Amino acid sequence: MSIAVRQPKNKRLIKGNQMHLETVKKLEVLKPDRVVDLRDAICPHPLNVIRDTIRALDDDAVLLAISDHEPTALENAPRFCERRGYPYRVIEQEGLWNIFIQKIEKKEARLRVENVSKVFSARDGKVSALSDINLTIRDGEFVSIVGSSGCGKSTLLNLIAGLDKPTSGRILADGKRVEGPGADRVVVFQEGALFPWLTVVENVEFGLKLRRVAHKIRRELAYDYLKLVGLDDKFHNSYIHQLSGGMKQRVALARALVMEPSILLMDEPFAALDIQTRESLQEELQRIWVESHKTIIFVTHNVEEAVILGDRVLVFTKNPGRIKSEHDIEVERPRKPGNPEVFLNTKWITDEIREDGEDAEAGIREAAG
Amino acid sequence: MKRKIILLTVFYLLLIAIWEGVAALKLWPSYLFPSPLGVLSSLVAGFQDNSFTIGILVSMKRVLIGYGLSVAGGLLIGLAIGRVKVLDETVGTIVLGFQALPSICWLPIALLWFGLSESAIVLVVVLGSLFAVTIGVDSGVKNVPPIYLRAARTMGAGGFDLYTKVIIPAAMPSIISGLKQGWSFAWRALMAGELLYVSIGLGHLLTMGRELNDISQIIAVMIIIIVIGITVDRFVFTKLENRVRERWGLLNA
Repeated sequence: MSIAVRQPKNKRLIKGNQMHLETVKKLEVLKPDRVVDLRDAICPHPLNVIRDTIRALDDDAVLLAISDHEPTALENAPRFCERRGYPYRVIEQEGLWNIFIQKIEKKEARLRVENVSKVFSARDGKVSALSDINLTIRDGEFVSIVGSSGCGKSTLLNLIAGLDKPTSGRILADGKRVEGPGADRVVVFQEGALFPWLTVVENVEFGLKLRRVAHKIRRELAYDYLKLVGLDDKFHNSYIHQLSGGMKQRVALARALVMEPSILLMDEPFAALDIQTRESLQEELQRIWVESHKTIIFVTHNVEEAVILGDRVLVFTKNPGRIKSEHDIEVERPRKPGNPEVFLNTKWITDEIREDGEDAEAGIREAAG
Repeated sequence: MKRKIILLTVFYLLLIAIWEGVAALKLWPSYLFPSPLGVLSSLVAGFQDNSFTIGILVSMKRVLIGYGLSVAGGLLIGLAIGRVKVLDETVGTIVLGFQALPSICWLPIALLWFGLSESAIVLVVVLGSLFAVTIGVDSGVKNVPPIYLRAARTMGAGGFDLYTKVIIPAAMPSIISGLKQGWSFAWRALMAGELLYVSIGLGHLLTMGRELNDISQIIAVMIIIIVIGITVDRFVFTKLENRVRERWGLLNA
């Protein structure tokens, strides 16, 4: 093993958060435990190869990825490393990019929600939208949150996104307290969140532009991610109003994924779509998740959708909003609506929610009587 | 399109022919009712002795300065009152109040402050168009769907970026109609201001026509004023508007 890599843990080989590039002629200082050649890697993304290889490596091991894919070397791989806290180094040699990555696992959960409550002031007093929520989400988990309207599921998503502040309690993303919105927690909204003054590609590039990523690189990344979500090339320069509802949500997904967020938050993104489009997007999202192992929190009022997508389904109940129950879904992927196991899980959860609704109604009757 | 051109050509030729016919009847003296040919020769003469060209240039310079200041000021004030509630509740009422005041009413104050000078006229133009631009920007900013802001913020937008990359582009359709209205107010305010005293501009040429009993010149200058007003409106603002509407999918194609 080499000297340079054997630095104290979590100390970056390259200091600072900037995506730094060094041209060094000699490579002897770094000896990798594993080498992957990405020169022939095709889209969706060479980064997936890195991700999957790293998953199989031991702690502390060093991976060398050889790439001629410029955005991977300059943008994606460094960002991936920054996010996970892996030390990395990118060296250009003879027109190729040598990306050295050391695997140092963080022990912190991806997301931790601790005793979070949210109270809204309404005209006729205070409404408790969320009451004492506790939740831990591990890296790479796909969690669905399901509940009837007004149960606080979207409120929780907003709190995690940092768009709103909890009344009490705290939320930690990657160990850091959430104080406001940030590109590490991008939200895909229900609909109408794409910018009509920009083309499809410009929409996808938006977040990268905010990060001052060079035009050529961000364009290339935008194309990559549009391909990943399965949008036809011919729509790249269309305006948003020219797209169908399903295509819009694909673009919204690409716009969020291109930021490589550590947590992807989805707020009923498919609710306004027709059944066929919704099913094909559910399939697509499963494929993307299997490929990328992103951490996803998916809010929906559709139980079947929650079961199809989530590893874990959290059932929310209202007055006050809290987590009523939690279900692990052990059904093989890709899951489809017709699948009997999906059907059974859906039925159990639906029955539970229905009971809950009847209880609530009974409670109201009692109070009224 | 072709049909429209033919229709308009026929219509205007007919109109001019009737006008010429009535003038030829000599029902009124020619200093009260000019003939189209008289107006045409006035136009030619005005351009030949450069008095029209100078008038146009002087007026254009004034309107560009005044309108430019209005656009800058209107953007700033509009953004401020559109985004800050307290300012909206206070400054916003002033803007609405002044919008109700015809711009020429500013002239007495402008004359007292600046005397018979360029600044006085520019001030009238600015105050004539500022509030229209401000209101356009303000209503555009207020109507930006909150979801655009939320989406942008989760992608890391904040502060200045939020204004330049989200709020202003999202408010653009309304901003452009404010700009368009501001332009026509600026042009009117300028003409009204120029009419009232010696100022070399197009408005002053109208006054001169009256003093010299030269009705052909008056009509010739009126035609120039109309043409400039329409040209800017059509070729700048309507074009801009259509482009934005096309992007947003607001055109009924």
